[in-house]
Amino acid sequence: MRRMHNNFLLPALCAGMSLGLTVAAIGKKKQETAGVSEHQCAVHVLNRFAFGPRPGDVDHVTAMGADKWFEQQLHPDQIDDSGLEARLMPLRTLRMETREMVENFPPQKVLKAIAEGREPLPRNPAKRAVYEAQLTRYEEKQDRKQAAATNPPSDATAQTTASNTASDDEKARRREAKLYADLKAEELLDLPPDQRMKEILKMPPDEQRALIGGNSSQKNEILQSMVPQQSETAMALNNPQQVVTSELMQGKLLRDTYSERQLEAVMADFWFNHFNVFVGKGADRYMLTSYERDVIRPHALGKFEDLLVATAKSPAMLFYLDNWLSVGPGADAALGIRRQGGKRGHGRPNRYPRNWPPRQPNANMKGKNRNGLNENYGRELMELHTLGVNGGYTQRDVTEVARVFTGWTLHEPRQGGDFSFEERLHEPGEKTVLGKKIKENGEKEGLEVLHLLAHQPSTAKFVCSKLAMRFVSDNPPPALVNRMADTFLKKDGDIREVLRTMYQSPEFWVPEAYRAKVKTPLEFVISALRATSADVQNPAPALGALQNMGMPLYGMQPPTGYSMKAETWVNSSALLGRMNFALALANGKLKGIPTAPSIVLGEGITNGTQSPNSPTDAHRALAAFENAYLDGTVSPQTHDAILKQLDDPQITGRKLDDNRRPPNLGAIAGLILGSPEFQKR
Amino acid sequence: MSTRRIFMRNGALALVGTSALPAFLSRAVLAAETVAHGKRLVVIFQRGAADGLNIVVPFEEQSYYAMRPTINIPRNAVLDLDGFFGLHPSMSALHDLWKQKHLAIVHAAGSTDVTRSHFDAQDYMESGTPGVKATEDGWLNRALHALPATSDKAAFRAIAMGPSLPRILSGSEPAVAVNNINDFGVGGKNPKAAPMSNTFEAMYEHSVDTVLHGTGQETFDAVKMLKSADPAKYTPAPGANYPRGRFADSLKQLAQLIKADLGVQVAFADIGGWDHHVNEGSTQGQLANVLTTFSQSLAAFWTDLGNLAEETVVVTMSEFGRTARENGNRGTDHGHANAMFVFGGPVKGGKVYGKWPGLDSSQLYEGRDLTVTTDFRRVLSEAVYQHLGNRKLDAVFPGFEDTPGKFLNFLG
Repeated sequence: MRRMHNNFLLPALCAGMSLGLTVAAIGKKKQETAGVSEHQCAVHVLNRFAFGPRPGDVDHVTAMGADKWFEQQLHPDQIDDSGLEARLMPLRTLRMETREMVENFPPQKVLKAIAEGREPLPRNPAKRAVYEAQLTRYEEKQDRKQAAATNPPSDATAQTTASNTASDDEKARRREAKLYADLKAEELLDLPPDQRMKEILKMPPDEQRALIGGNSSQKNEILQSMVPQQSETAMALNNPQQVVTSELMQGKLLRDTYSERQLEAVMADFWFNHFNVFVGKGADRYMLTSYERDVIRPHALGKFEDLLVATAKSPAMLFYLDNWLSVGPGADAALGIRRQGGKRGHGRPNRYPRNWPPRQPNANMKGKNRNGLNENYGRELMELHTLGVNGGYTQRDVTEVARVFTGWTLHEPRQGGDFSFEERLHEPGEKTVLGKKIKENGEKEGLEVLHLLAHQPSTAKFVCSKLAMRFVSDNPPPALVNRMADTFLKKDGDIREVLRTMYQSPEFWVPEAYRAKVKTPLEFVISALRATSADVQNPAPALGALQNMGMPLYGMQPPTGYSMKAETWVNSSALLGRMNFALALANGKLKGIPTAPSIVLGEGITNGTQSPNSPTDAHRALAAFENAYLDGTVSPQTHDAILKQLDDPQITGRKLDDNRRPPNLGAIAGLILGSPEFQKR
Repeated sequence: MSTRRIFMRNGALALVGTSALPAFLSRAVLAAETVAHGKRLVVIFQRGAADGLNIVVPFEEQSYYAMRPTINIPRNAVLDLDGFFGLHPSMSALHDLWKQKHLAIVHAAGSTDVTRSHFDAQDYMESGTPGVKATEDGWLNRALHALPATSDKAAFRAIAMGPSLPRILSGSEPAVAVNNINDFGVGGKNPKAAPMSNTFEAMYEHSVDTVLHGTGQETFDAVKMLKSADPAKYTPAPGANYPRGRFADSLKQLAQLIKADLGVQVAFADIGGWDHHVNEGSTQGQLANVLTTFSQSLAAFWTDLGNLAEETVVVTMSEFGRTARENGNRGTDHGHANAMFVFGGPVKGGKVYGKWPGLDSSQLYEGRDLTVTTDFRRVLSEAVYQHLGNRKLDAVFPGFEDTPGKFLNFLG
């Protein structure tokens, strides 16, 4: 058992890896004589290019060599990930097209259309039940509105009273529905599992909602007994839209925890954050599944320009930054010109959207023309996606870029429609971006600007400094960033090459970089799940913890994305959140995430020969967990603080001289996971 | 809310129609009764660039209506303030405070830096140094530098309501982020968790990592204080009708912390959802909705504080305003100057402060945005100087020349 007591110095031979293959080979030779160092190199790469080591990972990487492991991670398609695939199997929406999701889990707007008789109910019984449950709810809401309108309250007091009464009625109804639902839940459990769904579909909508919306253990048992499609339908009876976002979040948590393609997962997380889209913005809740799966992940290790173009055309981004609504002031649509077919000079056939301008979500805005630019995307494209805020663009550039991207729009975004270029919305004429003339060329103007931006030195620097901030330190050395930016420019924005340059740089391997980054809440939660080898059956409590720590998945409203710096994440509330999560995880207090067997059985503590009840076990357990979760690099402060508590009955489960009860391994594991050391990577 | 709870000299609870009672009089009554809890400054950030022109509407400006054909607030719908400006109709709760002369407004306030980036502009408003990126701490933290702590209660001198500590409060003075006072501790309310909490405390207290060490220490001090003060027992005062949502919850909890006498000197809360590029709405719609929450929450907070409101000043800010003209999507894009609200016991309310720059094309900044005529720091420094009593303004807003002679004098 090694304990480094905080005096770890990353040995010079790690740096040997930095100088390309030849030197790395020499480094390897050196490593053979000093096993400890190789071990620490493995910890370092697992902390940076993965979401932390799982039990056995460090040994595995040490055995194969960090260089080889890293190269393997750069080619995720060559890594088998069937374990993850199996875990994601039940989450069907992860494999659906946006349109399919909207259809299966209808948003309000579709329900409204059906309620008003403009569209028919689906025939499929499960789908139909989902729709019917929502329609009942919708109609109730309408009734209440009508009641309020026919009895207009005379003054403010009356209004409060009226709404109080209404909500009292509502409460009573809900109570009753819950009562019946609870009774029904017992009945359902008496049925064979395969007949339960049928019974649920027969229940009145109020009771369905009470059953599914509640949090009873019966409900969980019923849901768990169902095949995925059934439990999804059941969830959708309560809130269809939530199925989509819930599966999206579950999917991410499971992927980050269990994927063998760890670097891909880390990079997808990085790029999603770089090209952030907020799940709470209207139709985006249906679009993020495809955005992450089809736009971000496939390009996570590819060419930056491809990624940039993919995001620019993605429904998620077009909707999030409003570009789909931007219209050139001189465009046909704005001038009210209706041309029947024909071409506009550069040969793109004219395709009119049938109902342009698109319908407003806001009813009182209907029927009015829209005819102007929206600068939102143009600005964030340069400030956040490419050049960076000091990257040398002006307000005039923002406006010009906005003009370029007019016409990059969406058809029926709320029905899952895809990107299309609409000539009719596009601002005619030449534009000037960063001093470069962009000739009138329809959709291709946008591609030209994206190409221009993707190859600016400012962009290389901005993107590389963010990468270095993620992988090296909060304030990355300029020499490192410059070296990465050089590669970025030379290799046509090849992200794989940029990462290689970083990996081969001495700055990545200096002792000051080792465990220097404070984990973000996501990195903390995932690394804890990985370290303990937790079997996550229900990610919900982990997702809730992330919310508490200020980092809800897909929940960053502004386009900046989450910060990668320590100062943002080290604060009272979040620290307490981490300690509480650590204790709950290690003690099996998170519903759906049972205590890891290694903690329950004291694996690695007893060496298989002794019973886990000998008086020294608490101390042995401490050493074992320090070794397992902190790789032995624990500070004397942390070690001593826990040591002092080891004879506390709350922690050990018994007095030191009382060897009848085993030590409370969960408590010790939780203290290590909540320690200052585990907050860093 | 036309009435407000105050404590009379004999200690009896009385409901007084304060709209009829001039502010100076209600303050005079209270001054005699108030226990010396110390003065405090509460800063509210409207993140996302609130549209000041539709919040404090210059309804006498012809060009306002010309530039905003679909999203303007009609003259007959505004809540009249002074015959020139009117509040958005969703702000009736704050309008009451105006009528009681507790609420002042500074219009056309903003930053000297012209960035239209949310991120940068918020950063500058929180660091208090527009244009200077290297500033490491926030002005609200620095505002405490020259001030003695209230008694020995340092842990809650500076608090941010939310899951993270914002830039504005980062710095050398201890500051805590409180997301939810009910689970602010290790192991929740379980008394068995005490040894765990102690062990964590010992680890963090002795940690060599400076960031984790400092924050850990502040955290556990705060946890202990909170436990003994038990703010949860302070339920909202009668008439303090907080709406639903995170912002209202933040203010409700902040009121609890203040009422629990935890020595709060500066506090911060924020509210998002102001970035209306599309379908901003007029008297109804997106802006109206968030304004309702904003206004009702602040009014409830005021009512909830009772007589403690007399020693409290609340200032609101947003990173920049929005374009004077509406855009092509019945929304507005990023602009420049904005309106700030100031209310509290010592505020000389019922007046719109600051020089109005006008909305003619020639008067607009870059021909598109409301021009800044009052540096936001001018407003903040008056609150820091006059209310908190910090005389070292150059340390709070380095590089900004300010003297009491330049104050707008909204504090009496």
